[in-house]
Amino acid sequence: MSDKGQNFYQEFEVFSKRTDGAQMQHQFSLLAPNHELAMVMAQENFMRREPVSDIWVVKRSDVRMMSPEERESVGRLDNKDYRNAKGYGYLKKKWRQYEQEMLDEKEIMSWGELVKKK
Amino acid sequence: MGRVGEEEMKVNSPNDIPSADYKEALLSLLYQLADDDFILAYRGSEWLGLAPHIEEDVAFSSINQDTMGHATMFYQLLEELGEGDQDHLAHGRKASERRNAILLEEVNGPGHYLQEPRYDWAFAVVRHYFYSVSKKVRIDSLKNSSYEPLAEMAIKINTELYYHLLHWKTWFIQLMNAGGEARERMNKAIERVLDEFQGVLTLGPNGKEMSIMALIEGEENLSKRWEVALQPVFQSTQLSFPPKVSMKKGNGRLGEHTPELDTALSTLSEVYNTNPAASW
Amino acid sequence: MSDVLSNQHLTEEERMTHFMKKIENDEKVEADDWMPDEYRNALIKLISMHGISEIMGALPEKEWVPKAPTLRRKLGIMAKVQDEMGHGQLLLRVAEDLMKPYGKTREHIMRDLFSGDLKFHNVFHMEAPTWGDAGLIGWLVDGAAIITQTNMLHASYGPYARALKRICAEEVFHAQHGEAIIMALAEGTPDQRALVQDAVDRWWESLLMFFGPGDAKTTGSSKQDITIKYNIRTKTNEQLRQDFFTKYVPRMLSLGLTLPDETMYFDEEQDLWIYKQPDWDRFKEIIRNKGPKSKDRLRLRELSYDNNAWVREALSPSDQVS
Repeated sequence: MSDKGQNFYQEFEVFSKRTDGAQMQHQFSLLAPNHELAMVMAQENFMRREPVSDIWVVKRSDVRMMSPEERESVGRLDNKDYRNAKGYGYLKKKWRQYEQEMLDEKEIMSWGELVKKK
Repeated sequence: MGRVGEEEMKVNSPNDIPSADYKEALLSLLYQLADDDFILAYRGSEWLGLAPHIEEDVAFSSINQDTMGHATMFYQLLEELGEGDQDHLAHGRKASERRNAILLEEVNGPGHYLQEPRYDWAFAVVRHYFYSVSKKVRIDSLKNSSYEPLAEMAIKINTELYYHLLHWKTWFIQLMNAGGEARERMNKAIERVLDEFQGVLTLGPNGKEMSIMALIEGEENLSKRWEVALQPVFQSTQLSFPPKVSMKKGNGRLGEHTPELDTALSTLSEVYNTNPAASW
Repeated sequence: MSDVLSNQHLTEEERMTHFMKKIENDEKVEADDWMPDEYRNALIKLISMHGISEIMGALPEKEWVPKAPTLRRKLGIMAKVQDEMGHGQLLLRVAEDLMKPYGKTREHIMRDLFSGDLKFHNVFHMEAPTWGDAGLIGWLVDGAAIITQTNMLHASYGPYARALKRICAEEVFHAQHGEAIIMALAEGTPDQRALVQDAVDRWWESLLMFFGPGDAKTTGSSKQDITIKYNIRTKTNEQLRQDFFTKYVPRMLSLGLTLPDETMYFDEEQDLWIYKQPDWDRFKEIIRNKGPKSKDRLRLRELSYDNNAWVREALSPSDQVS
């Protein structure tokens, strides 16, 4: 087998987002000799039947990944309800005493809903 | 109906065709557009599974699908104008009735797509790249066509051309700049393609009428724009500019073709001809 | 990285226990996790065969792209073939990442394919001489593939499960495209109906063989036990073949087709399809690349691979920074 042409196959990771408001997500990987061809390949290899609004290609060797050991060590103690809504559930009953509803996640997120322009 | 003046003439549907001359020019244009895309997509599909690497196979086959889809759209317009069923237009017409450029019917290389194919990737890249640029120029002009259905179609087709151009331009530049054997093969391919490219750029005998009827702009303008579009790439790859084009094998717009088209047609119409009336 | 937990100090046995626990808990194994050689090798074999089969499978279909009798069918086959190569690409990438510790790359995969070391599914060694075959491949061959693939959607190996998810979603269109061709023929002229029956008659044995032998007795070995043990698949070859019969035999009969196996019937008591075994010796021959089209199709791949070597050489970044 010849030695030339060995480096043609470099690994690239492909990311995309479906719509403007969506997150950039990892999709899959592909082989290409450089970034420009990787971008060209990415568009057709993954996007042919999906709507896509943006694409990134990253050389795998540029990604600092976690090792298996690091992945296993990634857990944290479940003692941090001071930093999420779960820790404040008792407020619901308190507000009822004042005849008010609780401003919970559902309620607050609904304030962001688009109002159609007249 | 006389010449189109400064006001925009718009023909909204087959029922609004103003004259026999208009129709003749329109049909002539549509047949070219349809036949060009159809035969090139056919040649492209022979490359399936044979491209330089698997990722490229997938990408190239996308382009061929798009192109075949464009041909289908043009054949549909022809069907709406009373030229017959689109599958018949695609599969049933003889070589002498076809209006594609000869360059596009040329084989991909020696061999057959199922036996010993020795296809030339350099030829594929150059042919497809130069053709995509020319197609983009035509489609941009067609967006303002007096024939409304065609103008609308051009807007749709345009959205897919961006990708085709990016794809072929990337391959073209990278292979040219790679030097060595790649550069040699590319230079040979460029010579071959330019020798017949006039056949793609020409609008044929009805070209003048087409521009008078505002169906598309004049051949000279379009050819000039094609050159200008290629200029930056030619410069960055040290190719002599402007490119000199000819059509040595004949003019496809006049129905002049080569035996290579005959072979292609007999393959692609094989099943269709067993029973043109059947539903498949 | 001394403060990171490492299982380098664990014995092989402890690692194995840890690994099997993961499998039993339905946790996913990733490309760079520790895994027993048996697991890695079984996956490499399975996934590279799957990937290469998709790519080789594109070839009989490709024969019909130029010849498809309508524009819509041409487009349908072009899309299907493209998908298949896309699936092959996804799967090869999964296999390539598994092979990395062995120093193997895509070049090696291609060379193994040409030398016969890498096998691909029996069905793709078979001829596809008529338009009826083009339809049948989309209908029943893809149908068989869907059955085996959906069985592995929850595979313990993460990258494979994720690739299969994408693949199965696209297979739906393939199956429908194949059905559309067959339906048009079945509802068509007597000649067209004959095309379908003829294709069924010729493909029947190959379809049965697609699922692999029921046990190791017939071909001398069977990977199914390993893949089941490690939660890569849940059903056996025979169970999958039975599923295929259950899903497709009624449909075939409903279109007025006759089954090439006249002895076949469904035994209510045993809840099993009883049928005539295909020739498993022939199966062994075929996957050793002695099928009717094996040589030709491999030749196409090998020829084009060598023919395009100049492209790969030209673009290989040796000293360049890309």
